Amino acid sequence: MYPLIVDDIHKSYGDHDVLKGVSLKAAKGDVISMIGSSGSGKSTFLRCINFLEKPNKGNIIVEDEKIVLKADRTGALQPDAVQLQRLRTRLAMVFQHFNLWAHMTVLENVIEAPIHVLKISKADAMVRAERYLERVGLWKFRNSYPAHLSGGQQQRVAIARALAMEPSVLLFDEPTSALDPELVGEVLKVMKGLAEEGRTMVVVTHEMGFAREVSTHLIFLHQGRIEEEGVPREVFSAPKSERLQQFLSGNLK
Amino acid sequence: MFLDGYGPAILDGAWVTLRLALLSLCLAFAAGLAGAAAKLSGTRILVWPATAYSTLFRGVPDLVMMLIVFYGGQVMVNQVTDALEWDYVDLSPFIAGVLTIGVIFGAYFTETFRGAFLAVPAGQMEAGRAYGMTSLQVFMRILFPQMLRHALPGIGNNWLVLVKSTAIVSMIGLADMNFVADQAGRTTHQPFLFYMVVCLLYLCVTSVSSWTLHRLERRYSVGVRHAEF
Repeated sequence: MYPLIVDDIHKSYGDHDVLKGVSLKAAKGDVISMIGSSGSGKSTFLRCINFLEKPNKGNIIVEDEKIVLKADRTGALQPDAVQLQRLRTRLAMVFQHFNLWAHMTVLENVIEAPIHVLKISKADAMVRAERYLERVGLWKFRNSYPAHLSGGQQQRVAIARALAMEPSVLLFDEPTSALDPELVGEVLKVMKGLAEEGRTMVVVTHEMGFAREVSTHLIFLHQGRIEEEGVPREVFSAPKSERLQQFLSGNLK
Repeated sequence: MFLDGYGPAILDGAWVTLRLALLSLCLAFAAGLAGAAAKLSGTRILVWPATAYSTLFRGVPDLVMMLIVFYGGQVMVNQVTDALEWDYVDLSPFIAGVLTIGVIFGAYFTETFRGAFLAVPAGQMEAGRAYGMTSLQVFMRILFPQMLRHALPGIGNNWLVLVKSTAIVSMIGLADMNFVADQAGRTTHQPFLFYMVVCLLYLCVTSVSSWTLHRLERRYSVGVRHAEF
């Protein structure tokens, strides 16, 4: 059983085709890194997986459950609301700009969705919160508000919030792109730890080091298509496509 | 004797003013939320009437609107009851006052709430949706509390203006404290005394309000880092 199968996603805004049939399969414990220049469609693809963007075509299957889609008037595919809600609890997302709820403390951020979406008891949610905030090293900041934390700390709280859902797959949307350079390391360290625990992750990133060293599979997107994919070390050391060669030489300079 | 015997009447009038203001506030709050939601809906058949509403009611003097609702409203009520062959329904000055002030200030609240809703970053709601919240949960647990923080200063201003606007209902014969003071002043030939008393009473209401609003603002701005100079 694959925790996540994404099949042939197409997405366009008006006449502009952003995604032209992108697929991936994540087995349990896979860490899939998606790289590509800005505008390649990698963030849009990730956001299509949990329907923050509505794809125009394609299938998404989470733990063997296929999302039923119906086209609306504009041609965008609309999922069934109840099924979508259940699907989203299985896919926890970490955002580029953290998006921690600003009016809640760190602790409230982490227990919010488990209590109000998963409907677990507050006591159970607190157990999870302690476990995962300890995991990212921020339990002692549980009563702080997000605005009083550094970017790196906020992103670690966001990771704890994602973990507290105990999801099948973690989706990371450029998790370090909004951080000051000296704060990138602490977030990558947490993510590396999660990968080593065998968590299934899809990571859109500009961190080539992470993509090469930590991920089990690498996808290079170019103009809405998968230009090249494979085992990260092999792809990095001998890129076949000219686009990827250009991209990597530009990035390693 | 306590204010030449007019003391109790003025206090009764103050109670009328307070009830009028609070009921109008409730109506204005509801109308403002509905108006803001309509304006932000992006659906033309909702945006257009809401825009007309906030433009019209903010653009006409309170007094004119009051007289239109009181006289025009009565004519309309009569026509409806006649058509349905019901008994005569009297539109009391109190009801007319609440309706007019509530609807006028609803137009101001529409703009206050609209701005406040727009001030909440989209990512906050997106995170809610991504974690499986329903639209209602996103609204109640994320958007509304964060919106309220941005709206509170505006709500406070509107409320203070609203309290003072209640004085115009004395024009249509409602015995609010302004009305009582006017009568007492004429009868006793001491208008200055009675208007000073009313002044102080308005000031009491607005001071207590300001203090309450300040507390509310503090409560709803938890998690906000204030600018430091």
